[in-house]
Amino acid sequence: MNLNVRPILSALLRNRTGAMLVALQIAIALAVLVNALYIVMQRVEKIGRPTGIDVDNILVISSAGFTARFQPMPAIQEDLAYLRTLPGVIAADATNAVPLSGGGSSQSLLTAAGAHNPDTYGYFEVSEQGLNALGVHLIAGRNFRHDEIQPAITKNDASRFVSQIIVSRAMAQRLFPHRSALGQPLYDILGRPATIIGVVDPVMGSWPDIEHPDWVFFMPRLPFSFGGSLPYLVRTAPGQRATVMRLVEAHLAKSNPDRVINFVRPLNYFKDLSYLGDSAMEIYLLTVTALLIAVTCLGIFALATFNVSTRTKQIGTRRAVGARRRDIVRHFLVENALITSLGVVTGCALALATGYWLSLAYALPRLNLYYLVAGVLALWGIGQLAAWQPARRAASVPPSVATRTV
Amino acid sequence: MFGYYARLALKSFGRNPGLSALMVLAIALGIAVCIMTLTVYHAMSGNPIWWKNDRLYTVTMDNWDPNSPYNADGKLPPPQMTYKDSHYLMSSSVPERKVVMYSSDGVISGAGLASPVRLSTRLTTADFFAMFEVPFLYGNGWSAADDNPPRPVIVLSREQNERLFGGVNSLGRTLRWNDHEFRVIGVLDDWFPRPRFYDLNGGSFGAPDGAYIPFAWGIELEQLGNENTACWKPEKLDTFQDFIASDCIWLQMWVELPTAASRERMQALLDNYWAEQRKSGRFPRPRDDRLTNVGQWLIDQKVLDNDNRMLVGLAFAFLVVCLINTVGLLLAKFLNNTPATGVRRALGASRRQIFLQHLVEVGALAALGALLGLVLAALGLASIHHLYAAAHLGERGGYQELMHFDPIGVVWAVALALLATLAAGLYPAWRVGRLPPALYLKSQ
Repeated sequence: MNLNVRPILSALLRNRTGAMLVALQIAIALAVLVNALYIVMQRVEKIGRPTGIDVDNILVISSAGFTARFQPMPAIQEDLAYLRTLPGVIAADATNAVPLSGGGSSQSLLTAAGAHNPDTYGYFEVSEQGLNALGVHLIAGRNFRHDEIQPAITKNDASRFVSQIIVSRAMAQRLFPHRSALGQPLYDILGRPATIIGVVDPVMGSWPDIEHPDWVFFMPRLPFSFGGSLPYLVRTAPGQRATVMRLVEAHLAKSNPDRVINFVRPLNYFKDLSYLGDSAMEIYLLTVTALLIAVTCLGIFALATFNVSTRTKQIGTRRAVGARRRDIVRHFLVENALITSLGVVTGCALALATGYWLSLAYALPRLNLYYLVAGVLALWGIGQLAAWQPARRAASVPPSVATRTV
Repeated sequence: MFGYYARLALKSFGRNPGLSALMVLAIALGIAVCIMTLTVYHAMSGNPIWWKNDRLYTVTMDNWDPNSPYNADGKLPPPQMTYKDSHYLMSSSVPERKVVMYSSDGVISGAGLASPVRLSTRLTTADFFAMFEVPFLYGNGWSAADDNPPRPVIVLSREQNERLFGGVNSLGRTLRWNDHEFRVIGVLDDWFPRPRFYDLNGGSFGAPDGAYIPFAWGIELEQLGNENTACWKPEKLDTFQDFIASDCIWLQMWVELPTAASRERMQALLDNYWAEQRKSGRFPRPRDDRLTNVGQWLIDQKVLDNDNRMLVGLAFAFLVVCLINTVGLLLAKFLNNTPATGVRRALGASRRQIFLQHLVEVGALAALGALLGLVLAALGLASIHHLYAAAHLGERGGYQELMHFDPIGVVWAVALALLATLAAGLYPAWRVGRLPPALYLKSQ
């Protein structure tokens, strides 16, 4: 097929400014599109990481004792006994921190007493119902037994440790890269040992934003309320959470006058809040990129329309001397393709430079080239689509226009 | 002349209403995206107490683990202080004002409340209010004499005074804080520094605390903080006494140093204290004891995040595309109308007049674009605010605090729109004036 590029090119070169402006828009649009989508995909991946926790069916209750009469241990036992009898409740437990909430506790653990290891591992104090209340799955070893659950630390023995722990697989691999973690001892900073009796996977701890959110372990102990309040985690059967929340709110508010219920919330609230920055970034980037592409499209469309309207007479002449409608359409589409090609070639360089700069300045991973290829194809297609309607209009110019003087 | 040009511009709009609307829309979108991003950026990078930037300093000392620094890059000391170090430094008379503080959970009961309420409470020494220029609606803070031994006095935020006492002047009323009786001696006026520079724990844009009581109550009642407490040393922490004697960091400390001389004296005090403690085996890392002003503090603690910087870049890329688009469309529009311009030139209009005529048209487009851009930006900010506020269940604090359309933003918007569009219009307006009139008259 003869595309007749030469006359199109020479016509273009006579009217450079408009074409160059459109090419420049396409170049910037490509650079933004590719890098923005790449960042968005990273955020989508981050938000979509498995938590290992049954987030959609867990509710969180925050209870705070505040009087001298308040007895934390009996209060926890009474509340848990109540929660565990509710219809629709699979498991309930008191713990020290809300998973995925951005607030929690961590400590270091060592493979030999007195060794040094700068890592810290997030932990949850749980009972034998803890894993079930989170919906976390054991992949090796066993769960805590009821008789292993230690009383909460007190204001007189706050650095007491436990004898058994359950660790996440990520943490096990970090500490014991070449052997099974089961049965191995881990030491706290004062050199007291605990034996690993189980491994769970996957599980995410309190801080989704840190480098290793899945370095997590569980201690068989009732929680101690550091800030005055303690969370209960209640896991319900699917679809039962809202009902249980209403029941719980009404009952617990009155059951004990020496404490206050700060809130009863679905666990999703905390997860969503932790990822709020990321999801807002996604929305913003996508919106602005879509608008940018739309504006570029309008630019292409307007230029093509302008070209058609200023060349009505020439089109008529070409038609009069034998050009078919589709030759005219092809003329404008090829012209558009030339401009778009110039734009995407410049855009590739711009996109790579931007990606490189972003990776240096903000420590982002280097731009994935598949995105660039996809971006080029997308913009090229969009360019042809935007020029399609003006090209059709050009094709409908009747040959008789050539004979008119004005 | 201007009136005539304006009429011509109007006629020109009427000739290609679609194209003109497209241009206005492109300008408006570019402006709106820029305004939204800059509003957030401006709010995030702001220093809410800039006028005291050469007086207010936070004190930090590197007491951390010899084997691994507090921050991975090791460039900054830990952001908070131990009890023993801040306790020693608080006894100094070098600073004009000084404060040590932390935030903790309190439960308010009594005061005729149907049910008790939890209130994030700041345990602070007396200078807090004067140092950070906290406005009072009723009463005052307490005096240094009330700090030690602590008197049972409490200051409420305006919001909490409304919640607890219906907003009346509650001075002299009593309430129970964690079941201890306190007397209200002050109610703050609206006060919401963004970012919450004096304590960046738990989100830089968190809401200020709802109540304030003397710091020493925290020690007496063995009240732990509800924010960041970090420890590194292998030491027994069985009791509260162990904890306050430990190398755990959990307190914020600020000093007010009005002169260069007082700053030097304070730095010397820190250095001497460091050297003395080092002799007795503390501070195993190289000396890093700092006085950091608010501006530097906000940079060090990375209040402005990378996402925001990227968004500003994106917004400007977007604006540039919108303006290039406008240049292209203007060029097309003006060149489409060359016969009329040719007639005007032939009848004696100078190039300058043609240029000005077209510039007036561009100015009108810019004004419309700015107006529409403002509306779009207001809508956009409102919807982001809504997005954030919904995620926070309507509670205050968090990024939604940044989504306010400020008057300075409006001025920016208008200036940006006019300048950018006029700049974009310069070339097409000039170009159309350069066309030889004869050519276009001939073709008629």
